[in-house]
This record gives sequence, C-alpha cells and structure tokens, in this order.
Amino acid sequence: MRRTLPTVLIVVVGLLLLADFVIINPSLAAVAGVLIEYLVLLSAAAAVAGGLSLVARHAGDLLHRRGERSSSLLVLVGIALILVAGFYPGSRGADDGAVRWLVGALLAPLVAALFALLFIFLLMAARRGLALRMRETTVMLAAASLVVVLLLPLGGVLGSWLATAGSWVLAVPIGSVFRGLLMGVAIATAITAARLLLAVDGASDD
Amino acid sequence: MPDIGELIGRVVGIIGQVLGASSLRLGIGPTLAIAGVLLILLSLVARPISRWTTRDLGRLSAVGRAMALAAESGAAATFSLGTAGLARSVAAQERLQTLAALPILAHVSRAAARSGVSMELSANDPVAVMLAEATVNEAHRATETLERAGRSLVSYVGEGRATAAGRALADERSRGAAFVMGGLGEEGLLLLDGMAGGASSTSFGTTAASQASSVLLEGEGTLIGPELYQAPSDLRGVGHDRIAVFAGNRLIWILALVLVLGSALVVFGHVDLATFVVGR
Repeated sequence: MRRTLPTVLIVVVGLLLLADFVIINPSLAAVAGVLIEYLVLLSAAAAVAGGLSLVARHAGDLLHRRGERSSSLLVLVGIALILVAGFYPGSRGADDGAVRWLVGALLAPLVAALFALLFIFLLMAARRGLALRMRETTVMLAAASLVVVLLLPLGGVLGSWLATAGSWVLAVPIGSVFRGLLMGVAIATAITAARLLLAVDGASDD
Repeated sequence: MPDIGELIGRVVGIIGQVLGASSLRLGIGPTLAIAGVLLILLSLVARPISRWTTRDLGRLSAVGRAMALAAESGAAATFSLGTAGLARSVAAQERLQTLAALPILAHVSRAAARSGVSMELSANDPVAVMLAEATVNEAHRATETLERAGRSLVSYVGEGRATAAGRALADERSRGAAFVMGGLGEEGLLLLDGMAGGASSTSFGTTAASQASSVLLEGEGTLIGPELYQAPSDLRGVGHDRIAVFAGNRLIWILALVLVLGSALVVFGHVDLATFVVGR
C-alpha cells in the first residue's frame, strides 16, 4: 500500500496529462489545468518547507554550538537581508529597489566571479583528463584546439577561409554529433517517461 | 429505471460526444509516435525475454570496491543530484535527469550502507532533497543497517546553479568516492572539479550535450547522453528491469531506419518528410 498509492497516482496523473498533451478537449483541459495548479502549489509549498528547514537547521547549529557556526550565521543573515528587503512595509517584493540592488550588486558579481574561474578550471580539467585517459583526451583536446584556431578573429583571405571552414565544422561534424546525442537522449527520455507512466520501474535488489 | 441496453447506449453516447468534441493537438504523425513509444514498451513488458550483453556503464560495477576502500580510509562518499532539481523552473528534460539519477543513488547508497560508509548528498531543490533522503533511508532499510542511517547527510544547497559549484569547490575534505548524476549547466565543470578534488573514485553523468566534454575530462566513470537513462537498467538483476534498454535500442533502430528512408525519399522522391513528421 505504501508504494501502490503513489504509483497509481503517478500513472493516472501522468496518463491524463499525456492525453491532454495530444488531444484537444475542453473537459480534459480543465482537469489537466487543475492538476497543474496543484503541482505548482505543491512545488511552492515544498520550496517554502525547504527554506524553513534550512533556517531551522542553521539556527539549531548556532544554538547548540555545532558545525561551522560562522557559515550558519552568514546563511541566516543572508536570508534575513533578502526577506527584509522584500517584505518591509511598502516594499514592491521582488521588484523592489533594495532586492534588485542586493541581487545586482552582491549576488550577480559573486556568480560572475565564480564563472570567471571556468577557463582556469578548464585547463586543470584538461590535465586531469590527460591523466585519466591519455588517448581519448588528446583527441578531444586536439579537436577543441582546431576549432579554436578556426574561430580566431583574423582578417584577410586567411581569415575568410578560416571563418568558412569554422562554420562548416560547427554545422556539419559537430552539429551531427550533437544531433545524434540529442536524438539518443530524446529516445531515452521518452522511454524513461513511459516507464514512469506505466509504473514498470521495479525495485532493485542487487 | 433504464435497462442495461439503454445504459450502455448512454455511455457510448457520452464517449461519442467526448470524442466528437476532441481533436488531435499535434496531428497524426507525432501522436502516433508518442503512442508508438508506449506500445513498444508494452510489448516488451509482455515479452521481456531477449539476449542481453551488459556493459559497465559509468564504472558503476566498481562502486562496491570504491566503498570498501572508503570504509578503510574512513572517508565519506558524496553524491550530487546535479543542478536541475525536480521542482525548479528548468526544462522538463533537465528535471527528468534527476529522476533517472535516483536508481543510481539507490545503488550507491546500498553499497555505502553495506560498507558502513556515510553518504553526503546534495541537491538544489527541496523536492529532490526529500527524494534523496527517502532513497538513502530505503537503502539502509533494505540492507538492514538502519542504525547507520543517521550518519548520512542530505544538504539543500540553495537556489541557483552556481551555489552548488561554489560549495563543491570550497569543500576541501577528502572523499572516498564522488558521484554527480543529473542536469548540469555552464558551471558544470566547476561542480565536477570540486567534487572530484580529493576523491579516490569518481563517476559523473549527465544528458546535457553541452557538458559532455566536462564529464569526459573530470570523471573516471562517465555516463554521457542516453547512458544516464540506460545505466539504471544495467544495475538491475532481473531481465524485466532492462526493458528500458531493449525499448531504447529498438526505437533507435526504428529512428535510424526512418532517417535513412526519409533521406532517400527526400533525395530521390522530392518528398518533404520533415514537414509530415514534425507537423509544421
């Protein structure tokens, strides 16, 4: 029973939504609309529960002097700052200037700084890849280097030739690899979704 | 009181009215394609007997050994469910990866529970966190090691993809084994590098085509593209549970056939098959 009810719910709701996806019918659309609204409400409730659980956990760490208390304090102060900015009397919520400033002047630069590390970490990953599997990584890095050379912003006849070759490489060999990968992923996605809908995912007992 | 004939007549009438008020949203081609997936799967459910050649996708068969080594060194195993989550506002295909990663998490959790290795899980979505907790608890229940369940920890790393990457990079502890399975974005390389640092064994997987190179560079065991969906079937011992791969292989063959035939028709017969299939 513990597993049967969720399975039945998944199958019924999934098939209803699938039917609504392929068939235009007012009654079916109304039922599907209600189900999607429930889904949105559940997601929102789960997000709120997640936030409350996070606050409770870090407040507990602070009160009971366990874990990294400075990090817990930082998390709680950060949450409080955003909440105060979004909920003070007369605030416009997420569109309020204070919230926008916190996001634009604090969060966005932090994220940008993290993303700026990508190039350095790419080089480190290349070194790690060479250590893990020399031959395959060499081929991959050689191909990546070739594409970089083809995309160099050069002028003149050489630049024009490189640009043409670069476009061809992106559209034909790389494009076909990506399409093949995406087709495989699409099929596997459909199969996985069908397995969920038909409840054929049995429990493993390895 | 209506008799049984009248009742059946009314039911048929209602069904007729409903059908009469309905039309196909996607046209006949795509609708048949969707129905085909379900029908092929159903046919395989009814007849799951087939020859099976297994591969060690993502080096998942070595999880037991990795956990034994982790137990010896006293290190924990870490598992990240990627950055897509289940209730976040990302594409449905991204979210499905998180669901596909759960059987792999169950496999890893059971191996960890048997070896007495604590698990440190992370996800950036509360729903995924709850599912991860349930999966780990179920693994301890299945292996009758419920007394060890309290040593495992599931962390909600907060909204935003960069958070997970920053957290992984900041964590300097050595890990017995590291796993990242699920959706990855542009920052995937940072998350993978942070998780791989100090880990004696790594296994990473995603269906995000743009992050395939990151997974290949960082992971010892890799699950690229559809392999993330196929790997759970490899972990199962019963033929019935490998239906996903049977069905996937058949669909890939059908797709290849359609592509070849379609290309031939387009080249020699001047037929616009793409418009018929896609419906636009």
